[in-house]
Amino acid sequence: MVSFQDFSCPEYVKYIKMHELAIAENLVNIVKDVADGEKLSKVTKVTVCFGTMVQVVPDLFETAFRAAVDGTLACDALLDIETIPLRLRCNACNTVSEPDEYCFLCSKCGSADIEIETGRELFVKSIEGE
Amino acid sequence: MEIKIMKNILDRNQNKAGEIREMMKENGVCMINFISSPGAGKTTLLERICEKLAGKYSTGVIEGDVTTDRDARRLMRFNIPIVVINTEGGCHLDSHSISKALVHFDLKKTNLLLVENVGNLICPASFDLGESFRLAVVSTTEGDDKPAKYPMVFRQAKALVLNKTDLIPYTNFNMESFRKDLRKLNSSLPLFRVSATKGEGINEFCLWLDEQIKYHIKPAG
Repeated sequence: MVSFQDFSCPEYVKYIKMHELAIAENLVNIVKDVADGEKLSKVTKVTVCFGTMVQVVPDLFETAFRAAVDGTLACDALLDIETIPLRLRCNACNTVSEPDEYCFLCSKCGSADIEIETGRELFVKSIEGE
Repeated sequence: MEIKIMKNILDRNQNKAGEIREMMKENGVCMINFISSPGAGKTTLLERICEKLAGKYSTGVIEGDVTTDRDARRLMRFNIPIVVINTEGGCHLDSHSISKALVHFDLKKTNLLLVENVGNLICPASFDLGESFRLAVVSTTEGDDKPAKYPMVFRQAKALVLNKTDLIPYTNFNMESFRKDLRKLNSSLPLFRVSATKGEGINEFCLWLDEQIKYHIKPAG
């Protein structure tokens, strides 16, 4: 472990990652691992699910995905983005609601004691290949 | 052939964050992730926090910045270890960048680690750093609609610091509408109104923060 000899100057770490690109690169790494494990020679489709709360912009993500798959066995894969709405369950009255705006109160009884059932997803659902 | 995966895309970040969280617990370090838009006043708030608490707790700072070390230089007068993570255009810190920065700290001798994320209200929300908790900072000059537009940050934060309250008379910031939006998003979120440059509200905020830090640096078990 390196410890500071004196505090007259900060230490520096360089680390470069964009949001959509960082997500796309992580996705492509998972796709490559799974494709290798299944001995696929080519990935033809990648399906991802994004909850609305994660605020990933689909067009930007498509661009980032194209950059990240370049030169891999998934370079021609179709990208399918499924958007998952925000869905809340009230712990007080058990009502399930899908609010249009970001309101985390029960639409029926107004309780703040709610669970977020869906809307925070950021996962890879499946791939297709041959 | 279709292969079901159902895996979190940020699995790798999440796993590293989990390791960091364990490491912080073992060493009794309270790590706080400060999230705001650019210019909300995170660095000035960190200066006030260091004035109040850096003498009490052995403190370190990780400064996430797109470029330059200007923020870090403002904190150097406290004579505490500071690591700058320059993201060169990247819009958030992630757990792997934190892991690289952590090798520069002596965690056994550290109680409090303040992490200033890159100014941004969307991307940092998705990346767990292994922090003990998150604090959101917004300033009155940004308008009163930030919570409504960026819900994730305000759902995840342990508390919200509303900065630049001294400037309210010069803006169209509407406190009633701000609080109404917050109630919809996270009705139990503690709200601290401060002016970091004037020092207003800092005492109350730091008293609360002190309690949180005490709780997180307690030895495990």
